[in-house]
Amino acid sequence: MSDNKNKKLIKLLIGAGIIVLLFFILFLCDYFLNTYIVTVLNLGAIYIILALSLNLVNGFTGQFSLGHAGFMAVGAYTCGILTMSPEYKALNFYITPIVPFLRNVQWPFLPALLLGGIIAAIAGIIVGVPALRLKGDYLAIATLGFSEIIRVVFTNTRSLTNGSLGIKGLPMPEHPIYWTFGAAVITVIFMCLLLSSSYGRAFKAIREDETAAQAMGISLFKHKLLSFTISSFLAGIGGGLLGNLLGTIDPNMFKSALTFNILLIVVLGGMGSITGSIISAIVVTSLMEAMRFLDEGFLFIPALPGLRMVVFSLLLMLVILFYPKGIMGNKEISVNRLLNIFKNKSGRKEEAKI
Amino acid sequence: MSLLELNHITLKFGGLVAVSDFNLSLKENEIVGLIGPNGAGKTTCFNIITGVYKPTYGTVIYKGRNITGLRQDKITKLGIARTFQNIRLFNELTVLENVLIANHLHIRSNFLSATLRLPHYIKEENKMYEKSMALLKDVNLDNFAHEKSSSLPYGMQRRLEIARALATEPKVLLLDEPAAGMNPNESMALMDFVRQVRDKYNVTVLMIEHHMQVVMGVCERILVLDYGNTIAKGTPDEIQNNEKVIEAYLGVEDDA
Amino acid sequence: MTLTILLQQLTNGIALGSLYALIAIGYTMVYGVLRLINFAHGDIIMVAAYISYFGIFAFHLEWWISFPIAIIITTLLGMLIEKTAYRPLRSSPKISIMISAIGVSFLLENLATVLFTGKPKKFPNIKLFTDVVNIGDVSIQHIIFYIPTVTILLLVLLLFLINKTKTGMAMRAVAKDFETSKLMGIDINKIISLTFGIGSALAAIGGIMWGLRYPQVQPTMGMTPGFKCFIAAVIGGIGNITGAVVGGFLLGIGEILIIAILPELSGYRDAFAFVLLILILLLKPTGIVGEKIAEKV
Repeated sequence: MSDNKNKKLIKLLIGAGIIVLLFFILFLCDYFLNTYIVTVLNLGAIYIILALSLNLVNGFTGQFSLGHAGFMAVGAYTCGILTMSPEYKALNFYITPIVPFLRNVQWPFLPALLLGGIIAAIAGIIVGVPALRLKGDYLAIATLGFSEIIRVVFTNTRSLTNGSLGIKGLPMPEHPIYWTFGAAVITVIFMCLLLSSSYGRAFKAIREDETAAQAMGISLFKHKLLSFTISSFLAGIGGGLLGNLLGTIDPNMFKSALTFNILLIVVLGGMGSITGSIISAIVVTSLMEAMRFLDEGFLFIPALPGLRMVVFSLLLMLVILFYPKGIMGNKEISVNRLLNIFKNKSGRKEEAKI
Repeated sequence: MSLLELNHITLKFGGLVAVSDFNLSLKENEIVGLIGPNGAGKTTCFNIITGVYKPTYGTVIYKGRNITGLRQDKITKLGIARTFQNIRLFNELTVLENVLIANHLHIRSNFLSATLRLPHYIKEENKMYEKSMALLKDVNLDNFAHEKSSSLPYGMQRRLEIARALATEPKVLLLDEPAAGMNPNESMALMDFVRQVRDKYNVTVLMIEHHMQVVMGVCERILVLDYGNTIAKGTPDEIQNNEKVIEAYLGVEDDA
Repeated sequence: MTLTILLQQLTNGIALGSLYALIAIGYTMVYGVLRLINFAHGDIIMVAAYISYFGIFAFHLEWWISFPIAIIITTLLGMLIEKTAYRPLRSSPKISIMISAIGVSFLLENLATVLFTGKPKKFPNIKLFTDVVNIGDVSIQHIIFYIPTVTILLLVLLLFLINKTKTGMAMRAVAKDFETSKLMGIDINKIISLTFGIGSALAAIGGIMWGLRYPQVQPTMGMTPGFKCFIAAVIGGIGNITGAVVGGFLLGIGEILIIAILPELSGYRDAFAFVLLILILLLKPTGIVGEKIAEKV
């Protein structure tokens, strides 16, 4: 058994090493690169969190949820309003004043973000309890419906959210890159640990065959709700980070199109693959930004707003028609497999246990 | 006292009577067979026992407790496990993972402890791992622990399903056509295997089977269903010589 | 609230309900044969509206030429989409085809944005339809009579097709059991193409009438009605044509009347459909007219 222990220690050290290296690189990026590229990096990190959280429910537990935008909105508004200074609150809520108990509240970033996640998780439970009784397409449209309801409610509760005017002046702490990537790294580690645990196996069992899973003693509802709630929590965190990074949010940001964007990232990366979601989030975010020239014109290419999304949609169609399993399918890049490739063995698929 | 009792179980789907007045009493450590032509209602009985269907009339009593119509996972937790007629493995998962999952129902750690790998959880996980590997060894699948379960040949998939069901630590094991698709050698091996399972794991086995050799060879008593009705009960000898049974399977000569 | 206002709003509701019904039929038919929520269906409305618009303003065609052309082109487009984006994925997991539908929807909306800009265009004002007749104190646009009439007519035709013709029987067979229909010698591809064609044609007609009634044409005009029409189909019982019509009318009339009775809730207008959806899914998921499907273990 000491061989196993050594293996585990090595993996832990490699993992820690990678993280340290990552943050060193981030430090360099933050210091040297221009703010535009740094913003894109930040977006990439946030989309990693959003893609992983959606993948948890759709890819790993096999439940077709389209409600992500709603939970992001909950997280974004909670975090945003709590962190906004009273001066900005007065500025923003000029038509309908903000609810009295929030007027002079200003929280530091971390607690506000966490509370955003928690309230999003509570919303997840409220939505999940009725919706998870449904399956397949019905679950999809029920969650979509709830997401829209949340958005419409936010559009109308002007004293809480400022309605369709949206809110500006959401503060982001200095060096956001450590926050976004910090959160992303924690999310990745959490997901790896969760999915390689007994609960993760239970989720996958539900995905593979609900009847068999139940017959093996797994409570479907409890586990579906667990997966859904964790996903909503992370969506709230992602939403909070996104809102404060952009500095301004409004209900129209959280239309179903946002959920679809994240779904596309998940599918592209491979439903049921953590590494797939990570790679896909970074690739898609960079690609979307790189394609901005399509919208704004570049050299001899005239400005055609919307062209970027046309190209994106076409790319998506190509992927779904010819590579439906996405980049990674449901496999992961694991340290074991990489080591085996170097040792020239026929890589046997073992779980990457951290 | 009987371990599992089915009393006057009747199941109607609208106008169709799938099972009619089915009675069964299982004692500890028996091996009992349930046979009958296709569509007789055998799997339906399994489904009623395991909570997939709620019977129109009748009760299912387990260890003295009325479990009729309870949720499936609750029934499994109480100690009744099953395999499926059309194998239902977790296809994309490995052989080992399939068995590990069947340990999950006993877990005491919550998801947070599990994710954070707290010592309490690590102990549980190690126990699950050891138990699962031991089960795989018993069915001779331990060398395939890390293969994708869907890549296994049919006969091995059946053995895996049995190992998986055993991982839930049942007192009653329902096997739905375990010998289906097996050649004569494998069927003989299965007969021994079922006896070993009963002896080693102290379970009562209720088996649906079409392979008459297996049924007659390993079951201590047999019930025969036809069109939802129980047409015979008895020892293998009695059943083999029962006219009604022969009629049900082969038809009456005049009709030919 | 006076009787006049009630009647006025009722007529508005009937018009809206008919439009929802017409478009919902397309959703339900496609779901019936393919088990697919065709997210792109709502955007078909938009395509038809734009083609009609350009037919009249760019090519200076009379409306009674421009409209049929728009319907034909849109129908062909619907069938093309099925052939290129859905047919190849028929044996793939369900989520693939759903994502393809989402992709098509995005594509149509953004293509329209690129070609026509996001600025709303005003749908041509055709006096035959937009003139108003006054019955008592209630003023009703002509089109409010035409819309339900056309809808009911088309519904009758469709029900005749489905229930009394061989083709219709084939469509019902495919909706019931895909595999067996193939084995029975039914040309699945033809039937599915036909289904999409009919659905798209109905949506096109719906889109043109929508443009006449609500003259703002812009690339995302089909999105919200699209969702609502799908919800209408689910409320009525997805896969069931009569159900789609029932759901459409229920939703349209309900939406208008609720806002009329409780104007404070007008901001929540769009949420009404979704609330109704969730209630139906929880209380009677098979819809008002629908039937149950069981799974064999």
